[in-house]
Amino acid sequence: MLAFLKDNLSTIIISAVVLAVVILIIINMRKDKKAGKACSCGSECGSCPGSSVCHK
Amino acid sequence: MLVKIALAGNPNSGKTTLFNALTGSNQFVGNWPGVTVEKKEGKLKNHKDVIITDLPGIYSLSPYTLEEVVARNYLINERPDAILNIIDGTNLERNLYLTTQLIELGIPVVVAVNMMDVVNKNGDKINIKQLSKVLGCEVVEISALKSTGIAEAAQAALKAAREKKEVVPQHSFSGSVEHTIAHIEEAVLHDLPEQQQRWYAIKLFERDEKIIEKLKIDVKTLSHIEQDIAKCESELDDDAESIITNERYSYIASVIGSCYTKISKGKLTTTDKIDRIVTNRWLALPIFAVIMFLVYYVSVTTVGAFLTDWTNDVLFAEWVAPAAAAGLEAIGCAAWLQGLIVDGIIGGVGAVLGFVPQMLVLFLLLAFLEACGYMARIAFIMDRIFRKFGLSGKSFIPMLIGSGCGVPGIMASRTIENDRDRKMTIITTTFIPCGAKLPIIALIAGALFDGASWVAPSAYFVGVAAIIISGIILKKTKIFSGNPAPFVMELPAYHMPTLGNLLRSMWERGWSFIKKAGTIILLSTIVIWFASNFGIVDGKFAMVEDLGQGFLASIGSLIAPVFAPLGFGNWQAAVAAITGLVAKENVVGTFGVLFGFAEVAEDGSEIWGTLAASFTAISAYAFLVFNLICAPCFAAIGAIKREMNSAKWTWFAIGYQTVFAYALSLCVYQIGTLIIDGTFGIGTVVAFVIVALLLFALFKPYKQSISLKTKGVPQGM
Repeated sequence: MLAFLKDNLSTIIISAVVLAVVILIIINMRKDKKAGKACSCGSECGSCPGSSVCHK
Repeated sequence: MLVKIALAGNPNSGKTTLFNALTGSNQFVGNWPGVTVEKKEGKLKNHKDVIITDLPGIYSLSPYTLEEVVARNYLINERPDAILNIIDGTNLERNLYLTTQLIELGIPVVVAVNMMDVVNKNGDKINIKQLSKVLGCEVVEISALKSTGIAEAAQAALKAAREKKEVVPQHSFSGSVEHTIAHIEEAVLHDLPEQQQRWYAIKLFERDEKIIEKLKIDVKTLSHIEQDIAKCESELDDDAESIITNERYSYIASVIGSCYTKISKGKLTTTDKIDRIVTNRWLALPIFAVIMFLVYYVSVTTVGAFLTDWTNDVLFAEWVAPAAAAGLEAIGCAAWLQGLIVDGIIGGVGAVLGFVPQMLVLFLLLAFLEACGYMARIAFIMDRIFRKFGLSGKSFIPMLIGSGCGVPGIMASRTIENDRDRKMTIITTTFIPCGAKLPIIALIAGALFDGASWVAPSAYFVGVAAIIISGIILKKTKIFSGNPAPFVMELPAYHMPTLGNLLRSMWERGWSFIKKAGTIILLSTIVIWFASNFGIVDGKFAMVEDLGQGFLASIGSLIAPVFAPLGFGNWQAAVAAITGLVAKENVVGTFGVLFGFAEVAEDGSEIWGTLAASFTAISAYAFLVFNLICAPCFAAIGAIKREMNSAKWTWFAIGYQTVFAYALSLCVYQIGTLIIDGTFGIGTVVAFVIVALLLFALFKPYKQSISLKTKGVPQGM
């Protein structure tokens, strides 16, 4: 087990980093959507004249 | 104590520019009417207890348009502590029409005369002291664009709000009108605070249904006051609403007579001189075509291409991808993970980010056209053409907004009162290439046409043509038949936009694109990489050596035959077209992963070389046409659903867009290959049948409807 970890340490660390980035992106996207910060169109809702329609 | 100040004024009078200056916000400012549909709030700089509300531009407090309803409801229901009424000094007469109504609300009003720099430049004079005296409220002069007089205007509004000094209307109507208004106040409104009674009485005199409903007036009282109104109408030989309008304008004429000296009368302004050329009956369209050609040519082919080439060839090809590959190799990272990061993430996201420079140049040029006032002229020019085909020029405003992103474009269709026109606009708005489609256009133009100057501009004109053709065809169907709604729009004066505003607009749009590449596109490329690099090998789930054996290839191969008549029947193109539904940039991201953007770049050979090898020029253009016209991304489909408020209409819109895109793309490929290669087959026959059907639909006689159903009263003012 230890030998496996030692042999694949860099792969495990990089994989964990990639996974963490993916999770962070998903959490951030969900948080932004709930807070009405970022619209699905990619623009900021704050500057959109129709934001009240998206976030009723 | 929290103080609320509302910014009210005519469309395009500079409210949003003033709002941004007062609050330090970055609200979108466009030099055409109707930029603000909903009210927006912000805090006054250095005054956390002062809320500034930017109301949509309105011409009156009558509930004729959505903007007027939003603004009026806010003013009469929320009753802010003060109103900062911004008026365009170059067009006093029309702007004061709203002022006379705001003053009647019983809320402290401060009038800010904007564009004083232009007034002074024209040599005209406005006597501010006299204007203040005749209106009965404080008047300040400002230039929102040049940020002069803004602090004074804010202080005056704040002072008026804190002192709660109500404005007493200085104007009075003719005897019989005043008599009727007094009678209405006595009969219906005596329970309301005194300062509010006059405005409500005038609205009841005008028979404003929404106010009658709000006040819950019983039938008996209503018929009582109706007698007085009818008597007044008979005496003045006009309808109640027209009587009030005429009396207001008579009063405004007297105000202008005493405060305004117009030196430039009869002279053509610079705007008039420019408009004589750019809106000329014969020159308008060619000028528009040349301008849009230049916008796309400069952004995609010249300046933009130079910067994009550097991003692709140097930044990603020579620096990022090799450095990442070497680094991962050095630390002994597994081959599959190297593949995921270099070929998947860097390949996919890098392919999309490579087009950022072109996109920034396009956004900068579009922002300039918007801010200088030319975009408003395009709607005016297009109205002439659209009207012939049953669409209103008002439909072109959502399309102008849609050139940035389809979602706000679709939402802007709410300002179209005519239900048929609105639905048709929602269906066709996304035919105009949005920012997310630019990478597809630039990719095809660069990789398949060697940067030919006509390709990128042609994508814009294909969009416009698709709208016109759809307009003609749909208008001849029972569902959409009918006269186009009238379109009356005020053309704003031309002005040189500030560099700061242009750069801010460009960066906001560009940044949202970069952010999207780092989120949804990155996630998509990871999924695409896994789905394309893993599959069933010898009955086991494993990494495949050839992408053609992966899961994605299996799925893509099932869909690919559908696109074969369009010339791109390979699984990669089929998958790219489908992933484009998540976000249109994904088309390029998918190609980046599947055609080895990073891998090819690493070799130093031509980027996108593998992609170019799997398309012919004709099939690439057919692919471009399909992706420009077909169903938009999920975000835009969601916006269509919200605006249509009907699943049936949403499916109709998506179905129409996809079938229309397929038909156009098929015609491009089949007829194109016939002309260039002389290939003739069943597909060619089908293409000619489609062309014949389209021509029949375009030229069959148009049965004009005899009635026009609208949701509300006529639009425009």
